[in-house]
Amino acid sequence: MGARSIPAQLLLDHIQSCQITHVLTVPDTHQKTLLALLAARDQPRLLTVCTEDEAVGINLGLYAGGQRPMLLIQNNGLYACLNAIKALSLDAQVPLLMLIGEFGRDVSLPSRENKLRAVRLLTPTLDTWGIPHYQLEGPDDAGCLVEAYQRAEAQCGPVAVIVGAPTT
Amino acid sequence: MERLEAIQVLAECRNQALSVAIMQACVPWHDAGQADAFHVDAQGCMGSASSIALGLAVAQPDRKVLVLDGDGSLLMQLGSLVTVAAAAPANLYHFVFDNGVHQSSGNQTVPGAGKFNFVQLALAAGYASACSFSDAAEMRAELPRLVASTGPVLIRLEIARENTHPRWPKAKMADQVQAMRSALRS
Repeated sequence: MGARSIPAQLLLDHIQSCQITHVLTVPDTHQKTLLALLAARDQPRLLTVCTEDEAVGINLGLYAGGQRPMLLIQNNGLYACLNAIKALSLDAQVPLLMLIGEFGRDVSLPSRENKLRAVRLLTPTLDTWGIPHYQLEGPDDAGCLVEAYQRAEAQCGPVAVIVGAPTT
Repeated sequence: MERLEAIQVLAECRNQALSVAIMQACVPWHDAGQADAFHVDAQGCMGSASSIALGLAVAQPDRKVLVLDGDGSLLMQLGSLVTVAAAAPANLYHFVFDNGVHQSSGNQTVPGAGKFNFVQLALAAGYASACSFSDAAEMRAELPRLVASTGPVLIRLEIARENTHPRWPKAKMADQVQAMRSALRS
């Protein structure tokens, strides 16, 4: 099965229904229309940072300070910040919702059948670390975002939501 | 100056500020009686102290936030200077203990020791101000003015190298985070 594009507004609606206060991002090509929507609004506040490590640290600080943050990154960024996730979400027991774009994916194929390691090894990597994940393969899956946030809150840990095709 | 001298001066001027410490600043901060519900240790992720503090500063704009960072640690996430400056938290005060070595792993020299300048790096990144102290008396005299000024401010603390074994906090970060979240709610 391939992946189909999801309207950015639909994802934003679900982000707002979770009462997200801050979206922390190292920009993702797949989600550039969603980033544009977020950049045009005051709430949730969009914070663009230099590295995904920083985003995970800021997520902890915002959470400890009483806010409801989340991350918007790409698959390569997930690989870049695994130690931060280990320390500042898994060990520190801090909710961490990550919306992860599958940069480089051939959308006609399932992720696990893609040639690119960045795509093919994303869910195995998440499984290795015990990080629950949801795959958004089309508009009908968008509601998973709310369930994922609730799971991150309930488990006080990281949960990934994987965006399979570029948002529109 | 000695690390403990600097810690003592910081403790004296903390007031009601939130604090984040990392690596070898953690245990002396605890020993100085500062490990209350408004403090968290950045454990297991070098370089993350300023990012955690930035999150706190944005979440709690009416409270000051003190970061007790290390030179080797900050070097691991040097881009965080730009991220902090971009967010421009007026309530963030970033102290960098600079002894030129990775003390926790056996006093290996940090890359570029003596060649780079944290004060200039912070100013170039866009911090509101930055300065350096090598003397505890001078630091004690200037600190009240600095933490009353608009942040983000970076304060480099030139400290002596120590030939002691690294010490680590016994507190669990998960407990500290929940305690702070609860304390800030009440």
